Amino acid sequence: MSNFTRRGFLGLTSAAALGAGLSACTGGGTSTGGGATQAASNNLRLFTYEGEALLALLKEQVKKFDAQNGTTTTVDSLPGSGAAVYPDKLRTELLGGKGPDVWRIWGGQIGSPFAKAKQALDLSPYYSKYGWDSKINTTAIGGMTFDGVKSGVPFVSLGIGAWYNKSLFAKAGVSAPPKTYAELEALNDKLVAVGVTPCGLGGKYGWDIMRLFEYLLEHTAGPELHDKLLTGAESWDRPEVVEAFTLFKKWQDKKWVPEGALGLDPADIEPGYVQGKVAYTITGPWTEAAAILAAKKSPSGFGTFELPTDKSPARHSGFVEGYMINAKSGNADKAAALIDFLVQPATQKALQISASTVKGAEPDPKALPLSAEWAQKYGGNPFYTIQDQAFPKKQADQYFSVQSDLLQGSVKPDGAAKKMQEIVSAWAKS
Amino acid sequence: MATTTVALSKPQRGGRWSPWLFALPALIVYVGFLVYPALSSLWFSLTDWDGLSATYNFVGLDNYLKMPSDPVVVTAVKNNLIWTVVTIAVPTVIGLLLAIALNGKVHGKPILRLIFYTPAVLPLVSIASIWGWLYNPQYGAINSFLRLIGLDGLATAWLGQDSTALWAVMVPAIWLRTGFPMLLYLAALQSIPNELYEAATVDGASKWQQFWNVTMPSLRPAHYIVLALSLIDSFKVFDMIYAMTYGGPGTSTQVMGTWMYFNVFQYYQAGYGTAIAVVITLVAIAVGIPYVRSQTKEAS
Repeated sequence: MSNFTRRGFLGLTSAAALGAGLSACTGGGTSTGGGATQAASNNLRLFTYEGEALLALLKEQVKKFDAQNGTTTTVDSLPGSGAAVYPDKLRTELLGGKGPDVWRIWGGQIGSPFAKAKQALDLSPYYSKYGWDSKINTTAIGGMTFDGVKSGVPFVSLGIGAWYNKSLFAKAGVSAPPKTYAELEALNDKLVAVGVTPCGLGGKYGWDIMRLFEYLLEHTAGPELHDKLLTGAESWDRPEVVEAFTLFKKWQDKKWVPEGALGLDPADIEPGYVQGKVAYTITGPWTEAAAILAAKKSPSGFGTFELPTDKSPARHSGFVEGYMINAKSGNADKAAALIDFLVQPATQKALQISASTVKGAEPDPKALPLSAEWAQKYGGNPFYTIQDQAFPKKQADQYFSVQSDLLQGSVKPDGAAKKMQEIVSAWAKS
Repeated sequence: MATTTVALSKPQRGGRWSPWLFALPALIVYVGFLVYPALSSLWFSLTDWDGLSATYNFVGLDNYLKMPSDPVVVTAVKNNLIWTVVTIAVPTVIGLLLAIALNGKVHGKPILRLIFYTPAVLPLVSIASIWGWLYNPQYGAINSFLRLIGLDGLATAWLGQDSTALWAVMVPAIWLRTGFPMLLYLAALQSIPNELYEAATVDGASKWQQFWNVTMPSLRPAHYIVLALSLIDSFKVFDMIYAMTYGGPGTSTQVMGTWMYFNVFQYYQAGYGTAIAVVITLVAIAVGIPYVRSQTKEAS
């Protein structure tokens, strides 16, 4: 027989009381409280992730809006963190009941949780009121529509392509960008032969080096199958995927990506094409301002090309970014007016948006010649959802893990395809 | 021997509550910022809350029960154990040796102390960035040095492969954590009465015998503090791993702290993530209890 001390008895009875209390809560639907709708006022808060230079432009435009509408808008920014930290900060603010009225966010699976948790307002009434459907690129609106609900207003639609250093291409005896995948491989060989690392990508965080794999998958699978793979409608355990993984490994083994790419920080390696350390990288038009102009280099020394897929239609990877309105904002109408002001062509131009979704706000060829060239040549081409936005973060990280294992040789291409199928099918079923 | 008697006055009216009133401000802060969040976390660990929605369901111990079958938890626990053993043993031994060296007659003692302790006060993110550059496989100083001295074969992608990444992160961790035990040991060494060594010398004890029979027993309280605090610190490691490898390549450098963060903040699995946090806390408490008890004993 057990003997209970007074302390032991008290401990047991407390545990029992706690257990009883917890069991009483079964049945679901418990609420976090979450905070009530904020009071209406003329004060707005916009949360974003622009860097210093672009933030100054945004604040200038917001000041104009305030002057016209009698509002006072505070602009807060969390620059440089990318999608790794910004959504966490936003979520914490929302749960604390002091969330911003308007926030900037990426589309796809990054923006989706905010819409599904009903933290973001359904903007359909404002789409009608301001006629955004006719002013903004339809495909981009799709990237901010979740379960049929328009939860965001996209203002940037960014295409991912190759940005290269002309002098390093010339060093390898190449005068024009490749038009086919075979030409791209030949270019890589020529660059390696003259001691230049072809493609600058980093594997820390997973998403950067993923841009190479998703391109290879588009090349081997083609548009239709690629899209089906991303939704789990087709099995990944198939020859096209195995071939893409085989090519991915080949790029590393032939030193077409930097040595030890898996451990490199994208922030360190991506600008390598501007610094002359690598010949090209796979990135979007923001690199013109962030890497080329920031390094005080002339854009004329650089060029862009769409990675050749040998498939029709030619597509590149892309994603959208837009604004959402806090479902608990007491100033939803004013917040919508602010968004409408920000997506006016004149405002978009003043904000130097290099890939605006708004008709009439194409990039200025004088300020951003390469972005303008990219928009003109490839901006009209369809794009597939960049893969870290196609999958929820957990599945995307598992995907990066498979890529990492493959490049380290701990899994073979066919094993990687099987593993991917397990990951995607488990997600599709959930 | 003369003794001093202090006459204690009778408690004033209402004095029974005085201690509580004095403690109240601190108690409010303690309960509000520590007890309440801790209990909330415990509660959320028993739910399927995604960390964002207004509602959630009670799931009992499901989050705890699924931990053993999560392969990343297995990796994380293994990494935590390796990390704990290495980042306690190595800095402690090096710290002790440095303290002994600096306790002797050494020129430039204050400067040397400063040099050895400086890494401990540097911001962790800066340390992670600096070491990230040092480890750069192509341009980093470590591989460049290895190539310079003809050891090309040893130059590798330190942070880019499962087999070396965790060990590579441990090196800066050891570098920055050596200063703390060094300072504690130095203070303890300086408090050992010189008479003990004089007596030992008279008894014919060698330097080695003096170290084992005089120095080491006198350092016992310092050993205890260093080990207890380092153990707690090691088990809740997060920052160095997060900043240097982000848990990768793949999930090879995940530890319990980072895996908790990924689940709560990145995967929208706050229930599961807080269950991991509760486990980390329980382990830290289990480790901390002997330390707190020893301190309480000493105080009484």
